Amino acid sequence: MTKTYPKASRPSLDSVSVSIEKGEFVFFIGPSGSGKSTIIKLLLHEVTPNKGRVVVNQKDVTSMRSWKIPNFRRSIGCVFQDFRLLPNRTAYENVAFALEVIGKTKAVARRVVPEVLELVGLGGKEHRYPHELSGGEQQRVAVARAFVNRPLILLADEPTGNLDPDTSIEIMRLLDRINRTGTTVVMVTHDSNIVNQMRRRVIEIESGRIVRDQARGVYG
Amino acid sequence: MRLKYVLSEVMVGLWRNVTMTIAMIITMAVSLTMLGASGLMYLQVDAMKDAYYKDIEVSIFLDAGVTPEQVNQLQSDLEANPLVREAQHETKEQAYERFQKLFADSPDLVKAVQADKLPESFRVKLVNPEQYQQIFDTYKDREGIDDIIDQRRLLEQIFSILGAIQNMALASATVMAIAALLLVANTIQVAAYSKRREVAVMKLVGASNWFIQAPFVLEAVVAGLLGAIIGFGALVLGKIFLLDGSLRDLTDLLTPVEWSTVFLMFPFMAGVGGLVSAGTAWVTLRFYLRV
Repeated sequence: MTKTYPKASRPSLDSVSVSIEKGEFVFFIGPSGSGKSTIIKLLLHEVTPNKGRVVVNQKDVTSMRSWKIPNFRRSIGCVFQDFRLLPNRTAYENVAFALEVIGKTKAVARRVVPEVLELVGLGGKEHRYPHELSGGEQQRVAVARAFVNRPLILLADEPTGNLDPDTSIEIMRLLDRINRTGTTVVMVTHDSNIVNQMRRRVIEIESGRIVRDQARGVYG
Repeated sequence: MRLKYVLSEVMVGLWRNVTMTIAMIITMAVSLTMLGASGLMYLQVDAMKDAYYKDIEVSIFLDAGVTPEQVNQLQSDLEANPLVREAQHETKEQAYERFQKLFADSPDLVKAVQADKLPESFRVKLVNPEQYQQIFDTYKDREGIDDIIDQRRLLEQIFSILGAIQNMALASATVMAIAALLLVANTIQVAAYSKRREVAVMKLVGASNWFIQAPFVLEAVVAGLLGAIIGFGALVLGKIFLLDGSLRDLTDLLTPVEWSTVFLMFPFMAGVGGLVSAGTAWVTLRFYLRV
């Protein structure tokens, strides 16, 4: 499919066609402005392609009615470079918030949230505010929030972009563990170390086109 | 739990921006007071029309030198006219009696007027008082008729004054309503901006649109309803101190404004206040919270 942003001289993604199987772990790599992040936005239906279709979980997202989008997004978890946590809420409340706004009761949150915080390695730090946590710990909270609904797909947009190499590797171990539970992980990055260590499928994008799609690949 | 969440969000939203909230409520209240007053006026004019038009008459005054034949002819003509419900002949003596009664408290005036100075007349009630002009056109050139006077004309001057007051109230209600709408829109924008992080997360994790928007819309509705309550209070005070107070004589002369009519204005004002705020908030959110 093709996506051109208004006022852009060339398409952000030009006739790109990718198929990702359930349970895969995929890296999208490429220089800044190559169109990697647009992939995430398309998968979330934050933007729609000008040509072609985006199909997620057998559902055509492109033609999806706008009122169905919220429900669709519940099957996708999302992690970003800048964590996007609510600063006035604790780690526990940040994760619980994601549950409560989609209609889960407080009782469900009380049962599920400690579990998932334990899973990401934040047991004992539930009641810390984001500014009391390190960058790596904040990203763990973000991962917990993305994963608490047990999504089918986890999208990660440069999740290690703000973290030092050691912390990055810890986050990657976490994503890898989540992937082993059957969750498809799609990660956009330009962190060559990580890609080289993980040895997973690598799709390289340059100027909006796929230039490489390699199983167990390394960073260019 | 969700209801509690939404309600607490509404209260937090209103408090966070309390000066703007107060400004919004005040303009809303003034606008709704004007609206309520003009609604009241409208019902009042209607009630007055009903009360007065029933008894309204067209008076056909006859020349001093009219002959009995002409009077009889006019009588039978009027009775045959389909526009006329009732035509009553009033002789000079009857006119004088009525005059005496009418001005019983000014005996000088009664003394100054002699019985035969008052004109003979027909008091005509019409099937439909609006058709005065046709009666006037039919009879104005007849021999023996001096003048035809429609009481409705006199009342209509009063109604047109009331109508003008009503239009003024409506115009100021509209101007204040525009100010209120802009304030609602602005308050909602500020609220949406101050909660942009929460909103972004809610969208990301798939909260439904109504759940994201409900606190903002309700915030506007609560302000609109508070404005309606204050505006209704102003109407009640107006009824107590103006209509039943300093303007007592005037309202006795016209039809008095009933409490039931005043109370009827509350659901009207609350409905308009609530719906208009909700609509404005919703439209504002369409622009500020794109999915």
